[in-house]
Amino acid sequence: MAEPQERGLIAGMRPWDEMIDARGGVRPGRERLVAALDDLGPEGLRARARLRDAHLSAQGITFTLSGRERPLPMDLVPRIVDAAEWQVIEAGVAQRIRALEMFLDDVYGAGEILRDHVIPRRLVTSSAHFHREAHGVRPANGVRIHVAGVDLVRDDEGTFRVLEDNLRCPSGVSYVLENRRTLSHVVPELFTGYRLRGVEEYPARLLGALLAAAPAGVAEPTVVVLTPGVHNSAHFEHAFLARRMGVELVEGRDLFCRDGVVRMRTTRGSEPVHVIYRRIDDDYLDPVHFRPDSVLGVPGILNAARAGAVTIANGVGNGVADDKAVYPYVPTIVRYYLGEEPVLPNVQTYDLRDPDVRAHVLPRLDGMVVKPVDGSGGYGIVVGSRASDEELAAAATAIEADPRQWIAQPIVALSTSPTLVDGGELAPRHLDLRPFAVNDGQRVWVLPGGLTRVALVEGSLVVNSSQGGGSKDTWVLDTGDDEPLPPLEPELVIDDPGPTFSAAQLRAAGEGRARVDQPLVHTERMRQQEEQQQQSGLGDAPC
Amino acid sequence: MLSRIAEAMFWIGRYVERAEATTRLLVEHHQLLVEDTRLDPTVGAEAMLGPLGLMPGGPGQPGHPEAEAPEEPVTPAALVRLVVGDTADPSTILGSVGAARENARTIREALPGDMFERMNATHLRLQAGISTVIPGIPLRGLLDELAVVTGIIEWQMPRDEGLVFVRLGSALERLDMTCRLLDIDHDGLWPQAGAATTLRAAGGLNPFLRTQRGLSGDQVEGFLVLDPTFPRSMLQCATRAERAVRQMATYVSPQRTSTLLRTVGILRAELEFASVDATPADLALLRERTREAAFVASDAVAAAFFRQAGTIVWSH
Repeated sequence: MAEPQERGLIAGMRPWDEMIDARGGVRPGRERLVAALDDLGPEGLRARARLRDAHLSAQGITFTLSGRERPLPMDLVPRIVDAAEWQVIEAGVAQRIRALEMFLDDVYGAGEILRDHVIPRRLVTSSAHFHREAHGVRPANGVRIHVAGVDLVRDDEGTFRVLEDNLRCPSGVSYVLENRRTLSHVVPELFTGYRLRGVEEYPARLLGALLAAAPAGVAEPTVVVLTPGVHNSAHFEHAFLARRMGVELVEGRDLFCRDGVVRMRTTRGSEPVHVIYRRIDDDYLDPVHFRPDSVLGVPGILNAARAGAVTIANGVGNGVADDKAVYPYVPTIVRYYLGEEPVLPNVQTYDLRDPDVRAHVLPRLDGMVVKPVDGSGGYGIVVGSRASDEELAAAATAIEADPRQWIAQPIVALSTSPTLVDGGELAPRHLDLRPFAVNDGQRVWVLPGGLTRVALVEGSLVVNSSQGGGSKDTWVLDTGDDEPLPPLEPELVIDDPGPTFSAAQLRAAGEGRARVDQPLVHTERMRQQEEQQQQSGLGDAPC
Repeated sequence: MLSRIAEAMFWIGRYVERAEATTRLLVEHHQLLVEDTRLDPTVGAEAMLGPLGLMPGGPGQPGHPEAEAPEEPVTPAALVRLVVGDTADPSTILGSVGAARENARTIREALPGDMFERMNATHLRLQAGISTVIPGIPLRGLLDELAVVTGIIEWQMPRDEGLVFVRLGSALERLDMTCRLLDIDHDGLWPQAGAATTLRAAGGLNPFLRTQRGLSGDQVEGFLVLDPTFPRSMLQCATRAERAVRQMATYVSPQRTSTLLRTVGILRAELEFASVDATPADLALLRERTREAAFVASDAVAAAFFRQAGTIVWSH
């Protein structure tokens, strides 16, 4: 098969490889991993890949694409993030979320940033996700972004840059947890000698943030996860999160509003619901305010939220802050609200509403990525270096027709990492990283690692699972700065077992760990019987 | 029913349960060792061997009573080897599967359908060996096979005395295994993921999360000791044991089963009427009581039904 020809800017660019440096040496901290992969060899890796596939299918760790359930391909080679690199990412993601929280609070409130002309008012009001309905909704603990997924890419110099913010229903965190378990299950050898930051605490952190967001005055808030239903592509994740938080997974039809309170139907009558972690888009959430034809939502839920009877997480109208046309302004937003320089830089982005910018960009589309501002899942993206002339011309026409709907970015040569390809060989494939942040109103906590998505198609820069992307377990190395745990103390057996049993019985049990087994005398006798049965049966020859 | 058959039934119940609980524990404990390397893997591996009575050089193991330190540090792979073990030691997985199979063989005709064949095939597969590098997959397969055996017991055995003995054996073993699971103290050793591992090893992570807020070692212990609905909690097991014993008590004269009934009944009552705000010290005491009661009850059932007065044992 002929290679798609690279053209434009990317042709001369050499992507950053996360494991191998420019001179072909193994980067520090990756040596043991490379050695462990070598030991397995192509044959071993192929065998483990089969085990992995069987495991993923059996566990039902899937996403649904075009109505078909399929396992999210998980690469056997983990991606390693050094502790120092992680500190930057963690700080940068948390900073961004803090600033975007303030931005949302502002645009759905006083609107100071607009009055100060830092962000053009038209840009905000023209966003498809700016919902006037959300104006004046005051979240209980001030949080609108309970969960965020911030997509990062690594450029050819190894710098992590933010590609986009996902502040509505970022998905993929279930695969982070499942990938770790699957990898340690299928290739435990790789973990030898590595000390990793754990990922298991995510559900507890999320539940903590949701409980913290409950309406004031509720002693024991009821939290639910609201899913569009089993046909949604992320249904596995919705069920996973509900399970791991120990809360109900509900569909819209399980809920109803009465007297401004959201309630769920149960076998014991209806029960009030206080926090809804919804994985339904704004458009479908409430037919009273949004799409009147929505059968997934709950009529009246937004009014209940406005009245402060229920918390909707993430907040309604968050999409205005992750609109791709607002994205170029995020560094400005960070400086405006926090008075800090952004820790993580953006990718350069052209605002195509400006005719001069269009004049600069349109002739150079072959070196650009063109994205619709409100798209997700990789749909509608045109990667200039891999597009045909006709596709580029179509993109140019679409931009001229409605420039607000598009942004253009110079192509970033996404970093690569060795990835298992057919035949058991390892080959470089492009990746991104989606760290997940949880905001409980006190602090923004970032799950160590996040979802690494990998473009399994050679040379492809599109990592979305809907476009043939896979994932990798993401290891954040633990520096071990925290105190090492004390060694195991021998456990004390309690001396006073109480008066219920006789002294002899207590002595027998007091050892504690003595096993109760079938008496040996008995088996000894059986052995005798066995012998005798054999002897006595000698004359009883099989015929 | 012949005492011999009842006894084999009782031990089938115990050993199938032991194999299942030990296997589940090994899968989860091993995975924790691989994933969370903050703790020295030798310390982590030995933490499981002690409570299972499988520590090299420990009580009942080769090397005792010299009580010398094990010659080589116990690696995760060695942990798998020691816990899968061999047919000779009924504390190991292979040993308990083998013992269950051996009992099934002696009463093959009294068992439903292809129960012995299932156990035999499982035992043979296990004897062929388990990868100590990637044990998770074959051990999960073993759990499936043991679930089939349990399914045959529950769905095909006649509702007669035999089933009552199987159930008592299974309930007593489960009490014992839950004690051992809690002895490992995952939470103390792995503050981050330990408590969840204890629950997973009991198949109880989700049931726990649905009834409790937060996830601490003390809560997990409270759940595994006192939860009224979780099928592996000590309270549930004691309740099932009592039900079986009350059934058995109708087979013989009351004196024969008085110790057994009293032991199991008092245990159930202690667990059922434990204070709702039991402190960790209260729970530790309840665990010890449970351990002893399970021990005593096992002996009492043998005295009442298997070792009957008047049995003549020849000694040479």
